[in-house]
Amino acid sequence: MHKFIPYVFKSLWRHRARTLLTVSGTAVALLVFCFIGAVQQGLLALTSGDDAGRTLIVFQENRFCPQSSRLPQDYAGDIKKLSGVADVVPIKVFTNNCRASLDAIVFQGMEPEKLRAWRDLDLRSGDWASFSTQDDAALVGADVASRRGLSVGDKFTIGDVSVVVRGVFQSATAAQNNLIFTQLEFLQRARGASDVGTVTQLEVHLNDTADPETIAKQIDQAFRAGPVGTTTRTKGMFQADTLADLAELIGFVHWLGYACVGLVLSLVATTTVMAVQDRIKEHAVLQTVGLRPLRVFGLVLTESLLLSTLGGVLGVVGSMLLLSLTGMSIAAEGVTIAFEPSLALAIQGVSVAVVVGVLAGVAPGWQASRTEIVSALRHA
Amino acid sequence: MSLVEVSNVTKEYANGEETIRPLDGVSLTIEQGDYVSLMGASGSGKSTLLNLIAGIDRATSGEIVVADTDITKLSRGKLADWRAAHIGYIFQTHNLIPVLTAYENVELPLLLLPMSAAERRKRVEIALEAVDLTSRATHYPRQMSGGQEQRVGIARAIVANPTVVVADEPTGSLDDETTEQILQLLERVNNELGMTLLMVTHDADAGSRAKRRIRLERSRLIENGKELQTATLRTA
Repeated sequence: MHKFIPYVFKSLWRHRARTLLTVSGTAVALLVFCFIGAVQQGLLALTSGDDAGRTLIVFQENRFCPQSSRLPQDYAGDIKKLSGVADVVPIKVFTNNCRASLDAIVFQGMEPEKLRAWRDLDLRSGDWASFSTQDDAALVGADVASRRGLSVGDKFTIGDVSVVVRGVFQSATAAQNNLIFTQLEFLQRARGASDVGTVTQLEVHLNDTADPETIAKQIDQAFRAGPVGTTTRTKGMFQADTLADLAELIGFVHWLGYACVGLVLSLVATTTVMAVQDRIKEHAVLQTVGLRPLRVFGLVLTESLLLSTLGGVLGVVGSMLLLSLTGMSIAAEGVTIAFEPSLALAIQGVSVAVVVGVLAGVAPGWQASRTEIVSALRHA
Repeated sequence: MSLVEVSNVTKEYANGEETIRPLDGVSLTIEQGDYVSLMGASGSGKSTLLNLIAGIDRATSGEIVVADTDITKLSRGKLADWRAAHIGYIFQTHNLIPVLTAYENVELPLLLLPMSAAERRKRVEIALEAVDLTSRATHYPRQMSGGQEQRVGIARAIVANPTVVVADEPTGSLDDETTEQILQLLERVNNELGMTLLMVTHDADAGSRAKRRIRLERSRLIENGKELQTATLRTA
């Protein structure tokens, strides 16, 4: 069969405009498929995993946007006394856009030592000392830095918040690469003194043996009669609730992923059917020369497979490059979903292209292999 | 035993409610090294008989034995393998593969046979030399004249050294001069290479060049003015 591969390539090249259109159409469809897969992976990463289930987020009761949640910072001390709590991290969140946005900037103000202890940040440039000692210092996620063209020493202002970049970091948690960390007190004062002593949320880290649900209930119970009521959920649940509308949209968008697969199937199948109809006589000649019907079937299937796989690989490589270079994310209410390109997604994309290529070639291949030679030779 | 034995072959096909029977109980033998021309009016069934012998069509009944193989009993796959090894087919309209060069078209049947690349190259070069087209080896069909295309078709038919070469109106689409060249070439294939040749033609002049001239009239095969005797079915 491999001896006929040059014939297959030459046949595809013979109708290069058609081949090019099919390959490019397949590439675009697979590019969209991978974008959808990447945002789904980003959402899944936020709502699952150990950190999502073993860390609690305390938020002001019945509040959603970070700007509207104002918890007393001293709640942290009370929560830390609870059995099973390892540490409590007060966080002030500021975002320039509470609605869903592809370019929302999210600041998180944290005490430097807590930031270093509870975030897996790998500084690619800058240093921790400058960040800890300078009030308006900021550590910028690699994706934000890339999108906004920021580097160490740059000053920039979003809304009322002006900061100086003192480090650019990379995190294994993709969503964090879209955040900007500042000192807690700086962010509390940045928009007027009224926020001093309040935080947006408290992040509660638990001991290995603690039951998250029980402690969440204890926290909410403790502050029920306090000045500000709380809603405590696991980090995963908090992020799922915060992104509920967006998650629903992403859930719907995954149907578009299936539509992309269907599109590739119909595109490649149409091209293959056309190729077979164009070459009814040629296939009959090949059979006359001695090609078995199964080999004719194989030739058609190979053509279909090549078209789909070539387009698929182009689309997947293109999407992986775009996603890696642009560090795209979508944020809502201060929570960021990173578009996460991954090897698994790339393999899934190429696999889809391969399977679709095979499926698209089955019917035309069967038709070509079952054609009666004599009647096909009479074909114009 | 003859190289080709066609015994009591009938071919029927349906055309709407009507049953067409172009061949009805036809029998024929061809010996090794024969050059047979098969002539007859349009619709007489001569191409049908040629296609049955070449194994690209199926007889409704009867037996066709070529080089000791009853090809009517072979499956589609086995029949394809058999064609690759035993049949060289020359078409009226050349039917070269347009995306392949002359060399690649000639090489095509050899790709189906167990053969090294070096052996394939040697055989293709010999076949192209036999049809005097070595200089056109890298040319595509669109870059050649009708006569040159037909010579490539002949090279493709003989390259695997088949048991029988069949030609269906090989000069039907050519001018007089080119027709003469092709007929001379076919004579060389028979005389110099010793290949058995069965040619269907409606051209009496072309047919007269063959060693045996047979006419097919209403399923009766007539050679030298006499009807060929119906052979007894070997399986009967």
